Amino acid sequence: MIIFMKIITKDELIKIAQLSGLHLDEQEIPGLIKHITDVLAYASRVQEAVCLGRDESRNDFVVNVVRPDIVKCTDSAIIMAQVPQKAQNFIVVPHILEGQ
Amino acid sequence: MNFIPEVSPFISIAELQKCYEHKKFSPTEFLEFTLDRFRKFDTTLGSALEIFTAEFIHSKSETHGPLYGAPGLIKDNICQEGRIASCASKILANYQAPYDATAVNRLKKAGALLVGRANCDEFAMGSSTETSAFQKTVNPWDSTKVPGGSSGGSIAAVAAGLVPWALGTETGGSVRQPAALCGIVGLKPTYGLISRYGVVAYASSMDQIGVATRTVYDNALVVSIIAGNDSSDATTLSVGSQDYTAGLDGKIPLGLRVGVIKNALYAPGVDLQLVTAIQTSLKQLEKMGAVIQEVDMPIMDYSAAIYFILSRAEAASNLARFDGVRYGIRAKNAQNLAQMYTETRSQGFGAEVKARIMIGNFVLSVGHADEFYHNARKAQKVMCQNFKDAFQKFDLLVAPTAPSTAFAFNAFEHDKLQLDLQDYFTCAANIAGIPAISVPCGFADNGLPLGMQFMGSHLSESLLFKVAHAYEQKNVWHTMHPPAYQ
Repeated sequence: MIIFMKIITKDELIKIAQLSGLHLDEQEIPGLIKHITDVLAYASRVQEAVCLGRDESRNDFVVNVVRPDIVKCTDSAIIMAQVPQKAQNFIVVPHILEGQ
Repeated sequence: MNFIPEVSPFISIAELQKCYEHKKFSPTEFLEFTLDRFRKFDTTLGSALEIFTAEFIHSKSETHGPLYGAPGLIKDNICQEGRIASCASKILANYQAPYDATAVNRLKKAGALLVGRANCDEFAMGSSTETSAFQKTVNPWDSTKVPGGSSGGSIAAVAAGLVPWALGTETGGSVRQPAALCGIVGLKPTYGLISRYGVVAYASSMDQIGVATRTVYDNALVVSIIAGNDSSDATTLSVGSQDYTAGLDGKIPLGLRVGVIKNALYAPGVDLQLVTAIQTSLKQLEKMGAVIQEVDMPIMDYSAAIYFILSRAEAASNLARFDGVRYGIRAKNAQNLAQMYTETRSQGFGAEVKARIMIGNFVLSVGHADEFYHNARKAQKVMCQNFKDAFQKFDLLVAPTAPSTAFAFNAFEHDKLQLDLQDYFTCAANIAGIPAISVPCGFADNGLPLGMQFMGSHLSESLLFKVAHAYEQKNVWHTMHPPAYQ
């Protein structure tokens, strides 16, 4: 099987960064392009692995577990103590829409 | 330093318990001795992000139980109530765990003394503990070398004789690989044997708590405490608690069928001294009654590729929750919510974590998911079936744990793929969900430890411990300790 090396472009990298909720400094970009391209080129060999056998494993050890949906009382003070910015018992965040 | 007469810092948990029974010294005295050693050695070793006070440690543990008075260290991605759980990341630098992880809770109830938080790779992503946002951990055998990772702090502390046991986590080999590089025992249990309640998720289909100790017996002892079903973790298996030390009699089952994974042992790049050490170990096992046979498992050659895709894809989803809204750091002066998310994540995550999140989103994205993620899922099932077939013929499989001895800091600075490939031999067990144990199997000419791993079928921990213990008892590797920490 011939596997083509996928080279990530700068534009693609910036697009993935946006999808990931990250912004990149200009100096980070060349190193990241190399790293991500190398990993993806290596990872693309999974296409060969699929042909190496049959899948009959029905995931014997993976079973669906359900439990009763019971509301438990939680001390919200412990959780709220972690919040970076709050007012009374509410989490404060910046404006969702610009200009408001 | 507060010396206790006739106590080796490398004392095992089992020996420690005997000393307490015979009142040679008390857990309070031994804890003071332990804390003194951290003060003396950890400025160089860098194994712990934080060591708690003796008063706090005692106040959290029972005064009886199978691990009474046994000090241990917890990787910083496992929650200890009221303490920071930073995952060695700036983004969680101020995050305080609101509850105990189930494993932590069980250890405290068993009387163990949880002395602090162990350094690790950021969010357990790495193979050298170099991606920690806070500090460097060195290999106790050679401070110019890495301890391995991602549970490098946990493993270094045990190898240096600062604590007899530590918890790490395993997603692709993060306990076994550093255990091999530091010359101690590291177990990755069957997926679902140990609860992950209170463990910060990296790749949920593979994450497991792992145990690091200097002896196989101690490892079995700790696993006996923390293993078993937990109603707070739906992925735990329906197995009760079990005494894994029960079968450790120094013997292996007669006729034990051991398969040596040929394409792993003789893979390009494996240190020839390691190959020789494993071959010698196999001859020993043969003399002890095992039947050794080589086996080809071509799927092993693809395990790193499968792992790269699955782990990064799951990491991208799991780490989406860190956005500065509910906990952790929050970027200042953001003009709107979207900017706050982006700024917080960009400032809070390190380079390796960012790269893994981006790779994860790439392999899951429309246009690439079929080529990468869906194929990796199919290949994972093929791997599971391949192991299942192999365990029809063999009771255990043997392979190197890491390709070589510990490497230098920044050795792979310009070729990060090679650093990622440190998981080459270990990640197969994580992908297939099977248990594996790494044990020391000798030393290379450079004085650094070598490790090999036994892999077994699902829930075969008892057999793994039995064989690993018998092998250990025929050798001296577990009695050899880093000279700088004596």
